[in-house]
Amino acid sequence: MKRILLATGLAALMGTSALAENIGVSMARFDDNFLTVLRNGMEETAASMDGVELQIEDARDDVARQLDQINNFIASGVDAIIINAVDTSATEAMSSAAESAGVPLVYVNREPINVDTLPDNQAFVASNEIESGTLAAFEACQLLRAAGLGGGARGYMLMGQLSNQAAVARSQDVRDILGIAMCDFIELVDEQTANWSRDEAQNLMTNWISSGEPFNVVFANNDEMAIGAIQALKAAGISMDDVVVTGVDATQDALVAMQAGELDVTVFQDANGQGSGALKAALSLAAGEDVDQKVYIPFILVTPDNVGDFLSAN
Amino acid sequence: MSDTAHGVGGLTFDAKKRSVPTELNVFLALILIVVIFEILGWWMVDNSFLFNTSDRIDTLFNIQRIKIMILQFSIIGIIAIGVTQVIIMGGIDLSSGSVLGAVAMVTMSFAQASEVNGNPNPRALFLEQGWVDLPVLVPIMVGLSAGALAGFINGFLIAVTRIPPFIATLGMLLSARGVALWWSNGNPLSFPTESYKIIGAGMMPVYIFLFIAVLFGLIMKYTVYGKHTYAIGSNEQSARMSGIKVERHKILVYTIAGILAGLAAIVLSSKQETAQTGMGVMYELDAIAMAVIGGVSLSGGRGSVLGATIGMLILGVILSGFIFLRLDAYYQEIVKGAIIVGAVVLDQWRQQRAMAR
Repeated sequence: MKRILLATGLAALMGTSALAENIGVSMARFDDNFLTVLRNGMEETAASMDGVELQIEDARDDVARQLDQINNFIASGVDAIIINAVDTSATEAMSSAAESAGVPLVYVNREPINVDTLPDNQAFVASNEIESGTLAAFEACQLLRAAGLGGGARGYMLMGQLSNQAAVARSQDVRDILGIAMCDFIELVDEQTANWSRDEAQNLMTNWISSGEPFNVVFANNDEMAIGAIQALKAAGISMDDVVVTGVDATQDALVAMQAGELDVTVFQDANGQGSGALKAALSLAAGEDVDQKVYIPFILVTPDNVGDFLSAN
Repeated sequence: MSDTAHGVGGLTFDAKKRSVPTELNVFLALILIVVIFEILGWWMVDNSFLFNTSDRIDTLFNIQRIKIMILQFSIIGIIAIGVTQVIIMGGIDLSSGSVLGAVAMVTMSFAQASEVNGNPNPRALFLEQGWVDLPVLVPIMVGLSAGALAGFINGFLIAVTRIPPFIATLGMLLSARGVALWWSNGNPLSFPTESYKIIGAGMMPVYIFLFIAVLFGLIMKYTVYGKHTYAIGSNEQSARMSGIKVERHKILVYTIAGILAGLAAIVLSSKQETAQTGMGVMYELDAIAMAVIGGVSLSGGRGSVLGATIGMLILGVILSGFIFLRLDAYYQEIVKGAIIVGAVVLDQWRQQRAMAR
């Protein structure tokens, strides 16, 4: 029986391999940790399937370059296109270019501005950014309350690139949480960009520490900056028990820092799931099947309690 | 006439024409900027920029702030010392930031620990080959050699094919970044061995920078290498006619710049305990800015390592000053741009005045 199943399985596989699907992928940037996991997730999923060819291009954070890449994909006759948009407000042109050529299109990770008016053969797979900053900031608020600081606490915020939608959304999430009655005891001393970078965050945090202002919490838009802040705090001899540090992404480095008792909160965004989900949606669209046009993959809060579940996830 | 005004080989013979050394002017500018931040501090955030106002610590100055002002640009400062030599020779190096990124990736892959918190290192690139927990000398040698190779390629292209340095190093800027991305497929490499972490820990980057700065400050001033570098930058033709092996010297200077970019990569990846493909982006421009602010002439032949060092301090003071005043990064970029342009305008003006005298 098993053998028969195996044989049918193989036959089915061979059946699909007859028609090789070419998928063009345009990533916003190659040198971003999270997007690299997502890209690798897509490549691994493609490698595990027969007859799926991925061509991945780096838009290097340039909107014009990304649109050129999409037009090149269309010209070379790909079966579907996956876009990780550089600028989420510049997606109309991309949608209409693909639509007029009849090529299916899937947006991944970053929510396009035209998400509600996407043509039939286009879809969107990502997580909802409003969740990420909110989950992290609210957990920090609860930790501070539990530590008996409900009467008043002070914090700093490290922001990503200010031109980036995720940075803007996550920062606003934190401000929104600090605006609700339960958490308005937290006052932001200052907020600055450290461009997602560990090095810049470390320097920025050390400068803040040198001001001598007391503080209890550091909100970072991503894990790299949270780790930079932790390195600065440790170098200044501040005990990691006295400061709550939050990040977003749940990268390997961050989870190790959490195991070491340094990072208090991060938020897991399923990079692998988004990558493979986008690829599957693109293949379905290319085959003419119906797919959900909006697929939201939820964020999950990561604390020292459940850190073990995520160690091999991203 | 024009040669003496520029100073052949960087040396000025007529004391009247160069009464104040450039470095002193730049240093006075540094003091002025600190004073401005001190005044703005009392006015805008009611605190001192330079002095300690906390009761908990018993020091006159705010030591922590002074430390970070020097520390935060010291690694780019190491690059700037190489770039300064290249610019004095009349060249330019746009590749140092990308070379730093590539070398950091390559180096870190040989510096990894086998275990993290008791688990196998999830970032180790050569775990299967068993190339983990290597002695710290291995990654250091790998890093310096990789930097030297990149610098040698730059110098070789410029000296032998005679393409402009701008083009050769622009090519390296792109290619080296490609190497950084390709090396680990874009994945970051983290969790180095304990001995590797020491290289960039605490104020080590500053000590390494100071050692390199003093070393090359003396070399540029007192050795044949330095004199030849200034001579080529002042007038390549006459340097050639006076018997200097210009091509060989160019390769040497670019190779040294590459080695220093490699050294910066080692220190930075150790300090951050990670190497990432985007490391060092735009560092080349900060390095060039330090040199230019410090009075190094982009037309070659003039400037010094000391000047570039003060240029580094100026950038550090500006960054810390703006964070101290809680002003956003935009203002900082605007002011940085204005200072770079202002420094060159002032320098030009001083030169013309010196010539007119």
